[in-house]
Amino acid sequence: MRRTAALLWTHGGRSIPRALADVLVCPLSKQPLRYCEATGSLVSDAAGVSFPVLDGIPSLVPKDGKLLDDQEVKSEQESSTRDSSG
Amino acid sequence: MSSSSAAARRLLLLRHRHGHLLPKRHFSSSSAADGLDDGGRVKIFDRDLKRRHRDRAAWAMRETDGLVDAVAENLLDRLEDCRKAFPSALCLGGSAGAVRRLLRGRGGIERLIMMDMSADMVKKWRESENGTGDEPEMHFVVGDEEFLPIKESSQDLIISCLGLHWTNDLPGAMIQCRLALQPDGLFLAAILGGETLKELRIACTVAQMEREGGISPRMSPLAQVRDAGNLLTRAGFTLPGVDVDQYTVKYNNALELVEHLRAMGETNALFQRNPVLKRDTALATAAIYQSMFGLEDGSIPATFQVIYMTGWREHPSQQKAKRRGSATISFSDIQKQFGPSEN
Repeated sequence: MRRTAALLWTHGGRSIPRALADVLVCPLSKQPLRYCEATGSLVSDAAGVSFPVLDGIPSLVPKDGKLLDDQEVKSEQESSTRDSSG
Repeated sequence: MSSSSAAARRLLLLRHRHGHLLPKRHFSSSSAADGLDDGGRVKIFDRDLKRRHRDRAAWAMRETDGLVDAVAENLLDRLEDCRKAFPSALCLGGSAGAVRRLLRGRGGIERLIMMDMSADMVKKWRESENGTGDEPEMHFVVGDEEFLPIKESSQDLIISCLGLHWTNDLPGAMIQCRLALQPDGLFLAAILGGETLKELRIACTVAQMEREGGISPRMSPLAQVRDAGNLLTRAGFTLPGVDVDQYTVKYNNALELVEHLRAMGETNALFQRNPVLKRDTALATAAIYQSMFGLEDGSIPATFQVIYMTGWREHPSQQKAKRRGSATISFSDIQKQFGPSEN
C-alpha cells in the first residue's frame, strides 16, 4: 500500500493501482501489459501498442492505442513479437 | 471538455453541414460505407459515435433516472438469490453508475472495476462518491466491451446494465466476458429488447414516409427475446436464464423522450444512419406520436423492453443434464410405476 502511494506521488497520480494493473491485459492480444514509467503508458509488447494512462485512468480502447515504432520495441524488449497491429 | 472532444464536436458539426450538400440517398457518413470492417465482419453500429454519445450523456444525465434505476435494481436483485459471494466484480458500460449507487453491499463485492468507452463518463463516476461508507474498493478503466481488456479467469462477477445492445458482435463480447470470469463466475446483463420504443419506431416511419417519401433507419435493430437464450448458450454459459420485463415511461411530448434518450446515451448510432434530420420531419414525428399513441391526459407512453440474462461459467460443481442415451430406465416404466392410473 505504501509502495502504491509512493508511486502515485512520484508520477503525479499517473500510475495505476497494483490490484487493477494485475487484471488488465492488452485488449487486442489478451497478453499482459507493462507499465512504462518513462512515457506513463501501458505497453503491450505482444501487439506493439502503447495505451495511455490519463489522469490515473488507463485507456484501453484499441483506437486510443499508439503503434510503437519497431526500433522502440526492440530497444525496450528484444523478444517482442508483433502478431497483430491494428 | 478536452481539446480532442472539442475537435470531435467540430468534426461532427462539419459533417452535419456537409450532410446538406450530399445527395439525398447518401445515408452513410463514414468510411465504412459498405458496412464491413477490415476483418470482413459486419459492422452495424458506429462505436466511435456511441463513444461521443456517452461523452455527452456524462454531463446530460440526471442524478437519478427512474427507468435506469428500476433496471439496475432488478438486475442487482438477482445477487440476493445467490448464496455465493463475489469478491471481485467488473461492471461494464451503460448504466454502471446506477449499479454502483444501488449496490448497497449486495453480492459481497470487495473490489469493483468500472469500465466504459467514454473517458468523460468514467471521470464522472470517479468524481462522484456514493456517500455511504460501505463501498467496495473502486477501480476505473476506459475500455471497449468488444475488446475486453481483462485478464482471463480473473473476475467473479461481470455486470452489464444496458450497454451490450450497442456492440456489433454481441456473442463475441459475451464470450470475452465468459473468459474473463473465473470458473463458477456469474454473468449478469440487461439489454434492451426488440419491443423497445415501438411507438417511436412507428411514428418515425410514418412521418418520414409522409414528409420525405422514403424511410431511413432511425432506430437500431435490437435482440429479440427468443435470441437471448441462444446468445447465452452460444457464448458457452451454463445454467442460462432469461427473463423479460417491460417498462412504460410517460413523457409530456416526444421531444422530452428524445431528451431522455440523449441523457442515457441511447440515441441512434447506426453506420447506415441518415445524418440529416429535417426540422419538419422531426416535428411531424412528434405530432404523429402524439396523435397515434397519446393518452387522455396529454402525455405519451414509451415502451422499454428489457431482457435480463444470467449465465455462469462452467464449473464441475454445477448441476448438469445427463448425456443423451445414458438413461437406464425407460420412461414408460416410470409412468407404469408412478404415473396416474386411468381407472
